[in-house]
Amino acid sequence: MKVYSILILNKAGGLIYQNEISSGLNKLSANDYLVLAGTLHGVHAIGSKLSQSISTTNNLKNTEELNSIQNSNILSFGKALNPNNNKSGLQSIETDFFNLYNFQTVSGLKFIIITSPNDNFENFETSNEIFRKLYILYSDYVMKDPFYSLDMPIKSILFDKNVKELFR
Amino acid sequence: MSKKNTGDDIWKNNVEKIVKLFTLTYGSVVSQLCRDFQNNYYEVNQQLDKMGYNIGLRLIEEFLAKTGIKRCQSFKETADIITKLGFKIFLNIQPTIENWSNDGKSCSLIIPEPNPLTEFVELPITSDSKIGKELWYSQILCGVLRGALQMVQLDCDVNFIKDVLRGDDRTEMRLKLNKILKDEVPAGED
Amino acid sequence: MSDDSIIIPSTTTNSLSKLTINDYSKTGFGYNPSIGTQSNSINNIETSNLLISKKQIILSTSTIPIYEKLHLISKKSPIEEITLSSLLYLFSEIIQWQFKNSKNINDLEARLNGLGYKLGIKLIEMIKLKDGYKLLKRDTKILEILQFIHGPFWKFIFGKQADELEMSQNNNDEYMIIDNLPILNKYISIPKDYGDLNCCAFVAGIIEGSLDVSGFNCNVTAHTSTTDQHPLRTVYLIKFHSNVLYRENIRN
Repeated sequence: MKVYSILILNKAGGLIYQNEISSGLNKLSANDYLVLAGTLHGVHAIGSKLSQSISTTNNLKNTEELNSIQNSNILSFGKALNPNNNKSGLQSIETDFFNLYNFQTVSGLKFIIITSPNDNFENFETSNEIFRKLYILYSDYVMKDPFYSLDMPIKSILFDKNVKELFR
Repeated sequence: MSKKNTGDDIWKNNVEKIVKLFTLTYGSVVSQLCRDFQNNYYEVNQQLDKMGYNIGLRLIEEFLAKTGIKRCQSFKETADIITKLGFKIFLNIQPTIENWSNDGKSCSLIIPEPNPLTEFVELPITSDSKIGKELWYSQILCGVLRGALQMVQLDCDVNFIKDVLRGDDRTEMRLKLNKILKDEVPAGED
Repeated sequence: MSDDSIIIPSTTTNSLSKLTINDYSKTGFGYNPSIGTQSNSINNIETSNLLISKKQIILSTSTIPIYEKLHLISKKSPIEEITLSSLLYLFSEIIQWQFKNSKNINDLEARLNGLGYKLGIKLIEMIKLKDGYKLLKRDTKILEILQFIHGPFWKFIFGKQADELEMSQNNNDEYMIIDNLPILNKYISIPKDYGDLNCCAFVAGIIEGSLDVSGFNCNVTAHTSTTDQHPLRTVYLIKFHSNVLYRENIRN
């Protein structure tokens, strides 16, 4: 699986980071990326409304309980889980030319990963792991940088460098 | 696995450790603030709280990224995770929870001794005894909790009500949930 | 906030090296060399009242004397390790806080240096105490004290030794301590328009404080000196005052 591009969106759906990891897709203009980010954010939100009306109250309860069970597992075994919390929103888009995966954190950040097409389920698992690593890099190189202002575009040189190294 | 080892694995695997510099650096911040505000300790408390809040807004991402904790079902669960995992990861202590209010919205966290922020600290004996009554030396912790919980859509009040440094029998922090910011919970979770 | 209340060594007259014999402790406690042993006696009413009313003393100090706590370090202290993250969040917040107060990049560095300076004064005593009598002797030569800073001192605060210790080839009053990966800078990206700001000015302050208090007056500055392998490599330039070199020459 080849990763073409990654995007990070803040809570409000604003694009705060975009990096073309490897070539293979046509380049979009900066403005187009902003529109793409906003659109995905909107589709994700509306999509989750759709699924809410489908799911029964029973199902809702199950998600909450499931969360609880996962949390208590983390507490008692001390083993970390994947921080993805996107359950009912837009999760992926698959086309003949690329796959797009959308991850969301509990705090509302979105990490979007665009990869080469592959209908293998492993593809999702791999990108899930990439998301986890990206999130950790974000929490280190962006959150601990005193010169970064929250919710603003990320300009950190070190973050850029480490993201590139992740895909080397 | 025994209850005592809670959080140890995450702590070992993911987080690097360092020695005393933290305690001393914090001390120099408090003493500088006391100078800046000319010993107006209410303002010092406020500034420490603000600094903590800013830290909390950022620190929560690392916590979520490295543990994978999901949204909690109840505030009791939240308090449990804060003490057993949050304090464990970032300060390597595990406060105990006591005195739940009847509505389950507020509780006390007892910070065990030695408190890593105050390990080498005594409040000075001066002719002015104000410092022992007004300064909450570890106030930054309240701010951190408030900031971090805000980021997961929980609006809370956090403050100290007892501190060993002041001569109290223990260091006690009060945690109160005001409301869950439902409108801000990101879409697509359930 | 008044600027003169911050100790900024080497830029203000508040530096420890410039304290005169007429400066005395504002709290009313402590030895004053200009008065002699008299200064330790309790003669003013305020302080004696404090000491007499035992309740007040318990209120304002903890139950274990501070020196006993210090000795605990040599045994295994309960809080052996604090995660690096907490320190880095605190450091990041300190920089933002001082950044808001400062006029320009030089001012910011001076403020960070000032904060570190106060820390350095305390740290060196603490570290000497920690390792017991082995290290308790006073270093009298420049090279001895620098080796101490480069070795045990560095190890105590950062958990590893500094990478290099060099003497300047051009000036005999300049020395350099080099850290290939300064822990505090690990996640900090300096924006391009901030020039050669290095947030380890804080560490430079720590070094300056501990050298000053050991009787080696100097100025210490932090400079980024990137190599391919170590992009964050930081050089601490230590420039001793002429009186230190003069003394050193006499001793040799």
